[in-house]
Amino acid sequence: MSKFLPIVDEKGFKINAFKETALIFKRGDGATKLSFLLMGFGCIKRKQYIKGLLYLFMQIIFIAYMVGFAWQYLSNIGTLGTESMKREWSEARQIYVRTPGDNSMLILLFSVMSILLIIAFVLIWRASVRSCYLAQCYEKNGIKQPAFKQEIKALLDKRFHMTMLAIPGLMVMAFTVLPIIFMILIAFTNFDANHQPPGKLFTWVGLKNFTDVFWKDPLISSTFGKILVWTLVWAVFATITNYFFGMILAIMINKKGVRLKKMWRTIFVVTIAVPQFVSLMLMSQILHDLGPLNLMLQKWGFIDRTIPFLTDATYARITVILVNIWVGIPYTMLITSGILMNIPADLYESASIDGATPARMFFSITLPDMLFVTTPYLITTFVGNINNFNVIYLLTKGGPLVTDYYQAGKTDLLVTWLYKLTVDKQNYSLASTIGIFVFIVCASLSLIVYNMSGSAKREEEFQ
Amino acid sequence: MKKLLSLMLVLGLMLSAGSALAETIALKVWGSQEDQVMLQEMVESFKAANPDKEYDISFGVVSEADAKTKYLEDPEAAADVFAFANDHLYELVNADALYEVTINKEEIVNANVASSIEAATKDDILYAYPITADNGYFLYYDKSVISEEQVKSLDGILEACNNAGKKMFMDVSNGWYIASFFLGAGCELGLSEDGKQTCNFNNEDGVKAGEAIKAFTADPAFLTGDDAILTGGFGDTIAAGVSGTWNAAAIKEKLGDNYAAAKLPTFTFGEEQKQMSSFGGFKLMGVNTMTMFPEEAMALAQWLTNEENQLKRFQMRSIGPSNKVVAQNEDVLADKALAALAAQAEFAVSQKEVLGNYWQPAEAFGTTMEAKDYSKDIQTLLDEMVAAITN
Repeated sequence: MSKFLPIVDEKGFKINAFKETALIFKRGDGATKLSFLLMGFGCIKRKQYIKGLLYLFMQIIFIAYMVGFAWQYLSNIGTLGTESMKREWSEARQIYVRTPGDNSMLILLFSVMSILLIIAFVLIWRASVRSCYLAQCYEKNGIKQPAFKQEIKALLDKRFHMTMLAIPGLMVMAFTVLPIIFMILIAFTNFDANHQPPGKLFTWVGLKNFTDVFWKDPLISSTFGKILVWTLVWAVFATITNYFFGMILAIMINKKGVRLKKMWRTIFVVTIAVPQFVSLMLMSQILHDLGPLNLMLQKWGFIDRTIPFLTDATYARITVILVNIWVGIPYTMLITSGILMNIPADLYESASIDGATPARMFFSITLPDMLFVTTPYLITTFVGNINNFNVIYLLTKGGPLVTDYYQAGKTDLLVTWLYKLTVDKQNYSLASTIGIFVFIVCASLSLIVYNMSGSAKREEEFQ
Repeated sequence: MKKLLSLMLVLGLMLSAGSALAETIALKVWGSQEDQVMLQEMVESFKAANPDKEYDISFGVVSEADAKTKYLEDPEAAADVFAFANDHLYELVNADALYEVTINKEEIVNANVASSIEAATKDDILYAYPITADNGYFLYYDKSVISEEQVKSLDGILEACNNAGKKMFMDVSNGWYIASFFLGAGCELGLSEDGKQTCNFNNEDGVKAGEAIKAFTADPAFLTGDDAILTGGFGDTIAAGVSGTWNAAAIKEKLGDNYAAAKLPTFTFGEEQKQMSSFGGFKLMGVNTMTMFPEEAMALAQWLTNEENQLKRFQMRSIGPSNKVVAQNEDVLADKALAALAAQAEFAVSQKEVLGNYWQPAEAFGTTMEAKDYSKDIQTLLDEMVAAITN
């Protein structure tokens, strides 16, 4: 802004916002001090009418919002509501008349929203205090107060980034941050089928859902443990198999002497052209116990009884990995083809002069280069596979179901279990808990692996 | 500018005048995809019967099986009047989703069969209007393969099927059908005082029933699958199948003159024969507690389930009526599938006390049996199943 703000300490560093606000209060004259209570008062006094009135207007709106709307929700945030829907016999109408009670979900949602708005308001309040202080400094030093028009112009020039980011920032807050906070908070409540607003209330239960998932409830925690292990096994296998088979396919097609390279590539890419869910649903039909594949094998006399591709736990787990290879390798092939073509041919030439075998060349030249470039891609694929809803749900629906799992089957991933818990069982709080855990696993794995990878450590070496 | 202002003024006046004259009663009705045309006709007749009020009735496609889930997702956005399966009654009442039937209660109670009223009642309060009494299952069979004597026992049917090289169909990996063994053995599903599911399928009788299921699924003539497999294969590879009225038309067409239906057979329970039970399900019409117009919504629900419209349901969709008068209709009595269902009704158990937690574990047990995975004994599997159901 100017030499008056931000206030700096003797070394010339900015001081933190709280200290600065306190200092402004100390140094401010009467009008500035009053501005702490009555937003924009200092500005109005120093003839910055529009700006001052705008601040005042915002304060009035905020107070009206808090009193008229937010308070009824915020005051209930501790209990998430105490009165459920009321039911009274009406002799005149001959029905039990319902009068709406508290709605825990709306209390939670609007409370989170109001808290975000309060934070935003505090920021605006601070800006107003600073403006008033600045106006005071200008007056004291005999500098002309900047006109409102000038400040607006600054928003299109010097502070254009603020103007540009205002709308996206608001959208991100409203459609990403707000729902995420809301969902996370649900993990600490007992929001499930038995506590369903608006008929029933739900309330805070602290860490109960977390202790249930991890050890307290033997059935849920053992199911969680088993599904977690399978999720990780699946993610590792799905990622590695796709990666290597895709790479091998690309190397084969890329090999000198292979003819019709473009045709081969096109053939494999055609599978991408068919929407994934269509191929997956088709696959699940083909692999059905009484599906075409089993019937064909039986007719030709290869098997006596049908192969339970999707109904036996072990078979089903192998089947989903195999089908995933089938739908996944074209993508890896495309990505790796490009990288392969970029590895200098002279490396291979000199290696073969030195007598290196093709395997040696692959492990010493191709693979290191490939890993160097594609580690970030591998991480995203791995995380994508942990949450690979489509392949699992469309192929097996998580089945075969088993009796020792809680509402889940042998191929269920955490994310499909979570889906079943929310959509079929309305157990939102448990699902939210699992969701948080999946996020922690994905985020920490990604960060650790990425920071250990060559792509991050030796970024500057990339030719 | 002046023109615009005056125009807005006129518009505003018209709007306020319009709303003051007659309040439009906006109601939404949920029904399954197949019922849409029929529901529209019924609603038209409802409007014609109530000309004194202005109705704006819209429709949503939500089947009876999905209604509870859809309702609980967002009760305020749910339909004012919706059809649902009676096993969802407890969960809906628990969420305070349904208006008690208080207007014309006597009339409704008298018009419908007692079991359907019982199915819509919880703690002596009637919560919904019965639509049908046919949400159950029984046995379809091929007269040319299975004799009337053989059809009485499961062993007889399997023997006949094996002799003819054909299959008997039953979707054992489905909690709805597999229950017929356990319930037949005398086991029970119930509710505890705090509203949780209770289940004793793992007691001594349950284990015997489990052994019967094991023997049945291990039989070479046993076949499982979905409706498409049943209706596709009946007459060709399938000679007997357990299903409900919704497949009657398709099976009748495949079997022609050999089409027959009967109550479920008996099964070998230890040393003796026991009659297979079944879930007797009803479809009900409920009125949402969130509705703006409770009285009108109740009138509509009653209209959609009255005698005239139950007959219409039977005629248009072959749905078995819960209305006493319609049940005595000549055409209804002549319907073989409905007759079989009526014969089975004696052994049927109300599905009212079955909560959502029951289905997946029961399916899991059936899946294990169908996969012939005998790594755990029946007692262990049933203990695990009951633990998951009652959790």
